Amino acid sequence: MNATRYIRRYWQLYALLVLPVLYFAIFKYGPMYGVIIAFKDFNFFQGINGSKWIGFDAFREVFAMRDFYKTLRNTLMLNLLDLIVSFPAPLFIAIMLYELRTAWFRKLSQTILYIPHFISWIIIGGIAYQVFGTQSGMLNNIITSFGFDAVPFLTNKSYWLITYLAIGVWQSAGWGTIIYLAALTGLNRELFEAAEVDGAGRMRRIWSITLPSLKPTIVTLLIINIGHMISIGFDRPYIIGNTTVREYSDVLSTFVYRVGLESGQYTLATVVGLFQAVVGLVFVLGSNYVSKKLADQSIL
Amino acid sequence: MVKKLNKHSMHKKTAGLLALTLAGTALLSACGNNNNNGGDTASATSSASAAPSGKAITLKVEVFDRGNAPDGMSITNNYLTKFVQDNFGTPNNIKVEFVPVPRSEEVNKLNVLMASGSDVPDIVFTYDSSTFFRYAQQGGLTDLSELLDQYGPNLKEFIGEDTLAYGVVEGTQYGVPARRTHLGKYSSFIRTDWLDKLGLGSPTTTDELYNVLKAFKEKDPGNTGGKVIPLGMTIAPAQYEPLIWSFIQPATEEELYTLTSGTRDLPILLPGFKDALQFMNKAYNEGLMSLDFGLDKDKTKLGQDVANGLVGFYSEDDMNPFYKDGSVDTLRANNPTAVLSAVDVYTNSEGKHAKPEYTPIGMYLMIPKASKNAEAAIKYLDWMASGDNLFQMQNGVEGENYTLEDGVPVTIADQSDEFRNRLYNQGDMAIISNGKSLGSADLNVEAYVKGMPEANQDETRKAMTISRSDTIKPIRFDRPIESQAKYGTTLQDKFEEMLVKTTMAKPDQFDSTYEAMLKDYMASGGQAVLEERQQAYAAMTK
Repeated sequence: MNATRYIRRYWQLYALLVLPVLYFAIFKYGPMYGVIIAFKDFNFFQGINGSKWIGFDAFREVFAMRDFYKTLRNTLMLNLLDLIVSFPAPLFIAIMLYELRTAWFRKLSQTILYIPHFISWIIIGGIAYQVFGTQSGMLNNIITSFGFDAVPFLTNKSYWLITYLAIGVWQSAGWGTIIYLAALTGLNRELFEAAEVDGAGRMRRIWSITLPSLKPTIVTLLIINIGHMISIGFDRPYIIGNTTVREYSDVLSTFVYRVGLESGQYTLATVVGLFQAVVGLVFVLGSNYVSKKLADQSIL
Repeated sequence: MVKKLNKHSMHKKTAGLLALTLAGTALLSACGNNNNNGGDTASATSSASAAPSGKAITLKVEVFDRGNAPDGMSITNNYLTKFVQDNFGTPNNIKVEFVPVPRSEEVNKLNVLMASGSDVPDIVFTYDSSTFFRYAQQGGLTDLSELLDQYGPNLKEFIGEDTLAYGVVEGTQYGVPARRTHLGKYSSFIRTDWLDKLGLGSPTTTDELYNVLKAFKEKDPGNTGGKVIPLGMTIAPAQYEPLIWSFIQPATEEELYTLTSGTRDLPILLPGFKDALQFMNKAYNEGLMSLDFGLDKDKTKLGQDVANGLVGFYSEDDMNPFYKDGSVDTLRANNPTAVLSAVDVYTNSEGKHAKPEYTPIGMYLMIPKASKNAEAAIKYLDWMASGDNLFQMQNGVEGENYTLEDGVPVTIADQSDEFRNRLYNQGDMAIISNGKSLGSADLNVEAYVKGMPEANQDETRKAMTISRSDTIKPIRFDRPIESQAKYGTTLQDKFEEMLVKTTMAKPDQFDSTYEAMLKDYMASGGQAVLEERQQAYAAMTK
């Protein structure tokens, strides 16, 4: 087909594409200009162009910092644990919700599970202190009333990890189910009826029908998650973390905040950001490649 | 990318795409809650009506926003902004506009404002000396020497030469430090009703204090049911600094200058520092401190515990417990027989109640280089320092907000909310003075005392006397310590970590924890600060 006919036929689709493309151009590609700060001794009174070039000096400085390696290790550790604990949680919940037959009860459960996602981390942090505090936390009040010793949920680094993960699951698992439930709505119920006639039990049906139909979604989300392995949100570790467990709770984002923003060293902050972006890209491409080879599923 | 599209894989792709879109939305909405809590930055005062001839200039002045504006007022439009406009702005054909900056993100927001160049206010300020030095050294500030001579005679006189010197960087006057009127910092407080109940005298040394704390723990005179916290502690300076400094051994001037570290001059390398941590460790392991003291960075929990009558002894900013509806008022409401008294207990090897005092400065007031209204900015500060303008901004209207007694303005206790609300942010608007300014230290203290609820006035006076006695003067180098600007926040975090880790360590692991944390501190910038301080001291005394 020739060009005019092609455009006439598909222009609506391109029109639809304009907004997302603009979004990426303005908010994702535009700011990349600022990456050159990483190679300059940035002085914000002189602006990006006026500042001196320093080559890789800032990279050397960052890679020589002890805290950089500690925060890098913590970022990877917290993300890996999150991947193991928090990644499967929405899947389980979605399957359970899908199996529920009473519509009103399913909707109610879904709503209740979503709610934590809409609570600000600041508030969650406040709740966490009230619930998990050693001296007067709700949970420890119960534990000590049975005559056991108080558990330092927030002030011992190992217990803190568990608290951190549990809060993460509570906050995000419900919201994460949306994607799986959306994928499941396209599933033909007749498949289940047929399987039931053939004598398949509930577990069998989940294993042979529900899970395989979710496979593309799971793989997509897994690749996205692995791509984010090196980056970590600021709010959760910063707010749930505290001085006593900084050995584990100090991550790259809090490191950038402290060194870059609080001390006004934007060059160092940009170096860390660039480093995270590059490693993240490698992770995405790598996991995509592996998944293509092993499961014939990929997003690129 | 798309090779062959049979129906099956088409289905797969759509499912994948759908998932992606949804994931994208989730991510977007997660990032989207970055709400700007700066509030309304829009027009402040629109009352530039009867202006003299010529085009009015707009003077933009930073103001801290604590989000506590009373009903019917906003941070950019209230009694004091109108007072400034009517008494300074309109007569000088200047429109004064206030630019709010959230108090808790002061430095970050200021960095953004400064980086924006043209949009920056004409008067900005910060408490953070590192930030001031950095702006000065990077060439972002206006040289004020001539402007001050020409337009700021009253201001110069009010601030005084000694204080102005703090605003000099490498020989140039880049900032005007606000004058601090009360230099006392800390006092300690004890539940005297508990002492009476146990038949104990008020402790006068750290050793006696330890025995009293033990007695509070074992005999629980407050009937807290085992929840007693004999020693109130947090990781805020007001709680740990008086304790730590009382363990520091007498030191020479050189040691004081070089072996302290960070922007707070923490005595990390001075002899005695380890003993202070050892005391904390012992107190913690014997259950004399709250198990969660390491979580309490902003003293919220401590304040609650004091008000609930759980805390036996603690140190704090001298007048902090005595404000209307503060810890002491709440404590008394909860338990009418409770008495919390100011005491000076922590004692060093010389028998002195050593504790740090403030530098004689408040905020650094600065005029960014990008400002075109430097002249008007200095005029504004000079206006504030002249006549009784500062007094009116701090105290309001006579007969409505205060009455004069022996030259001291006494807050009228039962004034209407309308009058009280006038002054809700006077501390943030009267930027040239940190604290009430009446001419002498004793009068200033008296002004604070008279501002407290009547029942708390005697104890406030006592606490503010304690906080001014046996103080250790702050260190002042004649040049900025650059490594401190660079590592300052990291080192403060490391210090707090050292404090909680050594305190919470099992007694037999104290030494190894201390060694490890000190090593970490030195390697994370502490060593660089030490070396630079040694050089700076040598250069200064040469």
